[in-house]
Amino acid sequence: MDLKFTREDAEFREEMRASLNAILPEDIRASVRAQTTMASHLGDQRRWFQILDQHGWAVPHWPVQHGGTGWSPLRRFIFEDEMHSADAPEFNWGGSHMVGPVIYTFGSLAQQEKFLKPTRSGKIAWAQGFSEPGSGSDLASLRTNAKLQTGHYLVNGQKIWTSGAYEADWGFFLVKTDLTVKPQRGMSFLLIDMKSPGITIRQIPQINGEAHLCEVFLDNVVVPAENLVGEPGQGWTYAKFLLEHERTTSSFIFWSKRELRKAKRIAASETWGGIPLAQRPEFCAKIALLEAEMQALEWSVLRILADETYGYPAGVAASVVKIRGSELQQDITQLQADLLGARALRYYNPDTSLYEKSLIWPDYVPGRSGIAMMIRAATIYGGSKQIQKNIIAKSAFGL
Amino acid sequence: MDFALNETQRMLVEGAERLMKSRGTVELWRSRRSLPDGLDIDAWNQFSELGWLALPIPEEAGGLGGSMEDVAFLMIALGKGLSTEPYVSSAVLCAHIIGHGLENSFTDATIAGIAAGELRVALAHMEIADRFEVATPRSTTARAMGNGFVLNGTKILSMDAPSADRLIVSAIRGHGESTSLFLVDRNTPGISMTTYPLIDGSQAADLHFSDVSITSDALIAEGAEAISLLEAALDRATVALLGQAVGSMEACLDICSSYLKERKQFGQPLGNFQALQHMAADMLVATHQSRSILYHAIAQIDEQPSLRGRAVSAAKVIIGNAVQLVSKYGIQIHGGYGLTDEYAIGHHYRRLMVLEKVYGDIEYHSKRLVDFTTGHVKHGN
Repeated sequence: MDLKFTREDAEFREEMRASLNAILPEDIRASVRAQTTMASHLGDQRRWFQILDQHGWAVPHWPVQHGGTGWSPLRRFIFEDEMHSADAPEFNWGGSHMVGPVIYTFGSLAQQEKFLKPTRSGKIAWAQGFSEPGSGSDLASLRTNAKLQTGHYLVNGQKIWTSGAYEADWGFFLVKTDLTVKPQRGMSFLLIDMKSPGITIRQIPQINGEAHLCEVFLDNVVVPAENLVGEPGQGWTYAKFLLEHERTTSSFIFWSKRELRKAKRIAASETWGGIPLAQRPEFCAKIALLEAEMQALEWSVLRILADETYGYPAGVAASVVKIRGSELQQDITQLQADLLGARALRYYNPDTSLYEKSLIWPDYVPGRSGIAMMIRAATIYGGSKQIQKNIIAKSAFGL
Repeated sequence: MDFALNETQRMLVEGAERLMKSRGTVELWRSRRSLPDGLDIDAWNQFSELGWLALPIPEEAGGLGGSMEDVAFLMIALGKGLSTEPYVSSAVLCAHIIGHGLENSFTDATIAGIAAGELRVALAHMEIADRFEVATPRSTTARAMGNGFVLNGTKILSMDAPSADRLIVSAIRGHGESTSLFLVDRNTPGISMTTYPLIDGSQAADLHFSDVSITSDALIAEGAEAISLLEAALDRATVALLGQAVGSMEACLDICSSYLKERKQFGQPLGNFQALQHMAADMLVATHQSRSILYHAIAQIDEQPSLRGRAVSAAKVIIGNAVQLVSKYGIQIHGGYGLTDEYAIGHHYRRLMVLEKVYGDIEYHSKRLVDFTTGHVKHGN
C-alpha cells in the first residue's frame, strides 16, 4: 500500500493546472464564478468543451478511439479536480457521462459516427428522458411507449425532471416497446431529436426561481427505427449500465471542494462582533468538521478508483459515496447560507447572472441560498437516499 | 395549568384558520410576488377588520389588550396559511417599542393607527457589521441640530420597510455613545430605500439616511432604556414569528401525511415504506417539541429580561433546528415535486428558512442562550 500521490502525479497536476488556466476564456471563468444557478450556462459549456476537445481533454474517461485520453483513473481524478479549481464549467453530464458511454458500448457504428464527436465537443447537448410523473424511484413502472411501424417508432407519453430539455438538441429516452413482457424486459433505449414534431416542453418553475427542469410531452412523435440503441427490450440493462458506469461521479467531490472553498471565503469576510466568522467558535468547528468529512469522502472516492476490494460488492461503495456526497453538498451549501445570516434571505433571480456588488451585498451573496435550496435534489435524483440505503442493506448484508 | 383555548381564543383561531384556508393557496402565494411593495392590501384590510392588528395593543392605547398567548395562537393559524403580511413587524415589534417608549405628541395617534391598520411601522436597526447583535453601538448617527436631530447612515435588511409608513431608526447621538431610537416618517426628505424581495415573497429594504432632519420629539428611547426596550420588543416579535413557524410545521405534517397516502410507487402508497414512516415520525417529534418550547417562551415573556431572553432564545434554537429538519424532510418525502414552485411544501420550506433567521439565527440565539445560562450576559460579542 502506498497512500501518497507520486511525484509524476503531482507534476501532472501542475501541468494541468497551468494548461487549464491558460485555455479557459476569462469571460467563461467569470460567468462560472458569478453563477447563481445549479448548472453552468449551456453556451459556456458548449464553448468550453469545444476548446477542451481541441486539446483532446473533453472526455478523458472515454476509450481512446472515441476521443478519450487513456489516463489512469487517478489522473482523471486530478484533471477533474483541477477543472473545478479553475472555475471551469462542469461536464454536460447527460452527454459525456450518460448517453456517450451507452452509445460507444452498445450503439451501432452509424450511431457512434453520428453522435460521439459532436457530443464530446459540445455541439450536441443531451436531455435525459427517464422519470415520469408516476415513475420516480420506481422507474420500472414507466408508461411512455414506442410502437414500431414501418421504419420508425411512434412515441407517446410524458417525461418529467428533464434538465435543460428546452435547450437540448437530442434526448435519450427510456420507452416501452413491448407491453407483453415483464416491464424490465419490455423497455428500449431511444435517441430522439428534441426538435421533432409532437414534442412539447414545459419548463417547471423551481423553488429557487429557475425553470431548468422540464416536463416533456411526446404526442405521436415519429422516431426513425435506427435511433434505437442496441437491442430492443434491453433498455433497462443499458439504463442500469449508465447509472452504474461512473461509480464516483455522484460523490460530487470536486463540486463540494469548490463550494467549501467558497464557504471559507465567506467565513473570512463576514464578521460578528468584529471577529471573522472563521474564528468564531459558532462556525469554525462546523467548517473544520465539514472539511474532515470531505477528506473522508475524497479517500472513499480514491478507493473506488483504485478498484480496492473490501469485502462487499463493488456497488456498495458507490452507494456510500452517493449518500455521503449528496449530504455533504447539502451541508456545505447550508453552511454558506448560515454564514450569510439574514443576508441569505434575499431572493436573487437566477436568470440574472451579474448583480451589482456593494459593501452590503458582496459578490459571494447572490445564489448561495438558492443553490442551498435546490441542492435538496441531490438526495432525490439518481436513486434517492432511501433507495441507496435499501441497496446497501440488500447487497452488503443480504437483508 | 390549562392547555385548552378559552372561548375568545377559540373564536380567534377558528376565524383565522377559516381565512387562511382561503388565502393559503399556492396560486395566491405565487401571485403576491408581483405586488409592488410586497403587501397584499386586501389581506391587510381583513386583518384590520377582524381586529387582529389591535390584538397585541393594550386597551388603554385603543387596542384589545390581548395576551402573548392570544397573539401566539393567532400566529400559529397565520403560519399554517403562510401569511407574510407585516403583522409582527408593525403590530407586535414596533407597536411595543412605541407604546413603551417616551410619550410624545404623536404616540397615541401612532399606536391607534397601527391598531386600526391605517399605519404600518418597520424597524430599521440592523447594520452591515452587526450581524444579529442588538446592543452593539450603531454607525448611524443622530447629530443634535437646532430643535431636533440630523440622521446619517445606512440600515440593512429592514423587514417589511417597503410597505411601511413610519420607521423606527436606531442611531448613536455622539461618538462611542449608546443607541437611541427615533420614530421617523418614511417619506422624510433624505431617506432613500433599496427594496428587494426575500425568498418567501415578502420584502425588505436597505435604508440610506443622508442629512435627514427630524424634530426632537421623534426620540422614543435613549441609552440603556433603548436597548432593553429593543430586546423586549424583539423577544415578543420572535415569539410571534416562532408561532408562525409552529403553524407552518404543523401544516407540513398534514401535507406530508396526505402525500404519503396518495403517492404510489412500486405498486403501493409511499407511506407503506418504513424509511418514510420514520421520517414523518421524526417531523412530528420535532414539531411537537416546538409547540412545547413555544409555550415555555410564552410563559416567560413578561418575566425579567434574563429569564425572558433565556426562554425566547431556547425556543428559537429548538424551533430553528426543528424547522430545518421538518422542511427538509418535507421536501425529501415529496421527491422532485418538493423542489417546484407549484407544490405547497416548497413554499413552507422557504418561509421556514426566513422564520429561522429573522431576528437572530440559531448561532446567535445559541450564544445568547449560553450567555444567559452561564450568567455571562454581556452585550456586544
